[in-house]
Amino acid sequence: MDVIWLNCGAEPLSPVIPTHPRVRVVDQFRLTAGDLGAVSGLVSGTLLDQDAMLVLRPALEAFLDRGGRWFFNGHFLRPMIAGIKPFRPIRQPRRADLSQTRLAPHPIFAGIEIAQLETNKGVAGFYGRGCNPLPEGAIPVTGLGEALVPVDWVWARPGGGRVFSHAGNDLDQLGREWNLGPLLQGRIIDWAGGGPCLCA
Amino acid sequence: MRLIATSCGTYYHIETLEGPRYAACFDEIIRPEEIGLRLEPGDCLFVPCRSPAQRMIPQAPAIARHLALGGTVIAMGESGSETWLPGLRFTPRPTNWWWWLEAGADLGVQIENRHHPLMAGLEKQDVTWHLHGHFDPPEGCEVLLRDRDGLALLYIDEVSTPGRILVTSLDPVYHHGSHFMPATTRFLDRFLPNLRRWLG
Repeated sequence: MDVIWLNCGAEPLSPVIPTHPRVRVVDQFRLTAGDLGAVSGLVSGTLLDQDAMLVLRPALEAFLDRGGRWFFNGHFLRPMIAGIKPFRPIRQPRRADLSQTRLAPHPIFAGIEIAQLETNKGVAGFYGRGCNPLPEGAIPVTGLGEALVPVDWVWARPGGGRVFSHAGNDLDQLGREWNLGPLLQGRIIDWAGGGPCLCA
Repeated sequence: MRLIATSCGTYYHIETLEGPRYAACFDEIIRPEEIGLRLEPGDCLFVPCRSPAQRMIPQAPAIARHLALGGTVIAMGESGSETWLPGLRFTPRPTNWWWWLEAGADLGVQIENRHHPLMAGLEKQDVTWHLHGHFDPPEGCEVLLRDRDGLALLYIDEVSTPGRILVTSLDPVYHHGSHFMPATTRFLDRFLPNLRRWLG
């Protein structure tokens, strides 16, 4: 098992996750530097305790330096690794500000139409309402509105490893009308475990 | 009275509790695990919405001691407060995020006592976004918000313990901190300063 899916909340995980052969579910309170040293992938959700993660910054950066991959859902508000900046919301977004554009063909979204993720029963905003600003060298994957606010990006760190930032509700919880959860969970795990990504 | 908030380090707790809009409302921000060490009998403990219940349940004894000594606890929604506070009976309900799409829709939230200091300046639209469930308060409690069927959404309990419990199923801290649902910001704009004045 080479991917840690971090459990930070009380709700039970989708059955796809703990039964995936590559996944080890770890309660955030039990996450140690040793855990990060033993895996090559990490998936965290919007309930991530960023204060606790900040304490593990050296281990997290060492994990990435070794080529590790971190799939991050939510808003960066603590400097858990060097190079990230605090979430920037879209001020008073209108519907048009939440329309999505695919900016790069990331494998996680292969075959998934924008319309399947853009709204939740016709209501926009669940996907994301701003961005974690692009680190230098990051590639925007999904843009919001006319300004193409980079709600999703992937970053091949100069020091090694990759970070995928989805600055909204947990990606694997979206697209429920089309039951996209299991597909997205599998793809997120594959990516975190070193699967296909954009060309470096 | 000091207003002490717990933060679970989630992005929405950080944004709401530490952001410039409301930071001055709180005297101190602590982790749930520090409740037993940092809370003084005269303090008011503020547990924001979407605090994972598994972090609050181990603090139940410390919270019970605080109430036994006459302390005050504010428990916001979606934190499983019925699992770590005495005397709570909560009935969850599926959340209808789309009720407002119907023409003329009215969620039916009612301010029971407009003259209560905690409700000062609040209008119906400021307490209306969606519902996660209702409470069955012990006899003698004061209900401030009800749903269309008269079920309690926010009430004050000064009968179950020597202390005072304010509990609600509303979750404004999460949504304001997520930059989602402007009504939640309007609610906190009034409720938090009202709370400070009410606590004295």
